[in-house]
Amino acid sequence: MVVKKEEGVISLKGVSKLYGMGDIEIRALDCVNLTIKENEYVSIMGPSGSGKTTLLDVITTMMKPTMGKVYIEGVETTKMTNSELASFRGKKIGFIFQTFNLMPKLTALENVIEPMWINGVPRAEREPRAIKLLESVGLNDRMKNRPNQLSGGQKQRVAIARALAMNPSIIVADEPTGNLDSKSGVKVMEILRDLHKKEKRTIIVVTHDESIGKQAERRILIRDGQIVSSKGDGKKICQIE
Amino acid sequence: MQFDIDILENSIKNLKRAGMRTVLTLIGVIIGIAAIVSLLSVGQGLNVAVEKQFESLGSNTIFVIPGAQARGLSVIKLTDNDLTQIEGVRGVNSVVPIYGAAAILEYNGKKINIQVSAADAQKSTIFDDTGYFDVAEGRTFVKNDSDAVLIGNKIAYDYFDRQITPKKIVTINQTPFTVVGIMKPQATSFGGGPNTGTSVFMSLEAFNKIAKNVSPSIIFVKTDSGNDVSYAVEQIKEYMDKKYGKKSVMVSGTEELLKQVNSILGVITLVIAGIGGISLIVGGIGIMNAMITAVLERTKEIGLMKALGASNQRILILFVLEAGFIGMIGGIIGILLGYGLSMLIAYLGVSSGFALTAVITPEITIGAMLFALIIGIASGLLPAIRAANLDPVVALRYE
Repeated sequence: MVVKKEEGVISLKGVSKLYGMGDIEIRALDCVNLTIKENEYVSIMGPSGSGKTTLLDVITTMMKPTMGKVYIEGVETTKMTNSELASFRGKKIGFIFQTFNLMPKLTALENVIEPMWINGVPRAEREPRAIKLLESVGLNDRMKNRPNQLSGGQKQRVAIARALAMNPSIIVADEPTGNLDSKSGVKVMEILRDLHKKEKRTIIVVTHDESIGKQAERRILIRDGQIVSSKGDGKKICQIE
Repeated sequence: MQFDIDILENSIKNLKRAGMRTVLTLIGVIIGIAAIVSLLSVGQGLNVAVEKQFESLGSNTIFVIPGAQARGLSVIKLTDNDLTQIEGVRGVNSVVPIYGAAAILEYNGKKINIQVSAADAQKSTIFDDTGYFDVAEGRTFVKNDSDAVLIGNKIAYDYFDRQITPKKIVTINQTPFTVVGIMKPQATSFGGGPNTGTSVFMSLEAFNKIAKNVSPSIIFVKTDSGNDVSYAVEQIKEYMDKKYGKKSVMVSGTEELLKQVNSILGVITLVIAGIGGISLIVGGIGIMNAMITAVLERTKEIGLMKALGASNQRILILFVLEAGFIGMIGGIIGILLGYGLSMLIAYLGVSSGFALTAVITPEITIGAMLFALIIGIASGLLPAIRAANLDPVVALRYE
């Protein structure tokens, strides 16, 4: 499966995502080349409709591009089967969503354990690991609570703990503070910073908020499906149509 | 490993979390299975009851029953010569013709219609073991008892204002007879034995007083052993076919007759159970409905699971298992309920005078269990496939 070892932990080469047919063709992503290095903290910014959500979906392997290749940790994911992708994604990428996306009928602890049973973590390890993670985000006393008993900030912290359940090297956050008050937002960004600095993980934040975006080491700007400015990327290389 | 204990555990957890919906869906399956199991159980019980009754007659019994003439409507009249012929067949031990007639019995000013059956008193001893003609009060009739009658239980106790007791006199077709005995009540059988409640039995001598020129309605032939039956049946059949035309007189051993009765009962049971099966199909549709709704409701959750690392296959197995469990649990409860119901039906039947029993067989149990499981899995398959094929990006953003 490993085609060639590419530089960087995430690498997109000539990635395009097209919708529609014939005359009516929408290019959500247009010939994107992107390399994110290990332990980088990047933000992906752009206006509404710019394609930043699509870019996120492609980076996280939730969506396959129409053209181009995606490499994660040197492995070409665009060639994987659905099963292989799911397993790969589960172990390598941790998700944080704007709307938290916690399972409403599970407790905080059970939510954090969810990715562990999906990805085959041995039973005995699950609860201790989940407890440790919830403690690390300051939710020691909220483990048995359901999402509807938690504040927005607390929910997002549970989501962060869940994102760390499989100890992924890459954390992807989609508008992580979008549904939070400023105080909780600050707390969440602090945790992300720690994940980057102390735990040496690769952090990718997608946002339209300038104040959030500038907290990253590098900003990637996207407009109309194309990367407009970003340090560290080469010239445009695209397949001839 | 896509199928592991985690996925089993989580499918059960999901069913629990769905609470009321799971319960209601279960009820559909339970009713369907209970209906099938109880009907099959009672049906099997009928088979067993009939077999028992035939067994009591012994495997060395042949029934000779004259039917209608090939042309015309009158019943074939077998003659004394025919009886002699039968007696002459190798292996035949005794020949007991039973004569019957409809008659009117009068007692205490009231008249009722009855069935009179008569047989040779001495020869009637072949029925001793069957228990059909056991006497509850008094005694049975003996040879030359031209005055005595045995009356059925219902005639003695139910039909007249005053009970008829032994030594009382009744009039049959205007001829007086003394009641010497009252028969024990018999459960109404379904093809296995006589219904003696409304009958009157007497000796041949007594019978000649009220009916003349009657030919036997049925002839019981006893052979020396079970092995002699098939030869004797062949011989008697050949004789009857030649004399009266093919299929005019029925000649069958116990085994053959039992087979015929059982197959009829079997068909009836299956048809009725099949109707019960329709309710199970409705139950299956209930499962499908519940699962489709579950998939719709859990769209976001499914998208999330895929984001967290669940493959399409794993999602498929999860939902199929959920449906399968509903089938299985509904099956188990349905089987228990079904057997309980069949026992209730049997109890009610017996207390009303019917020979009903409930039978528990591994075939019914395992068959019902498998059926429930298959219905569960089959019903859940379509919704599960839908869930597995959901686009994770679309699913996650579903509102």
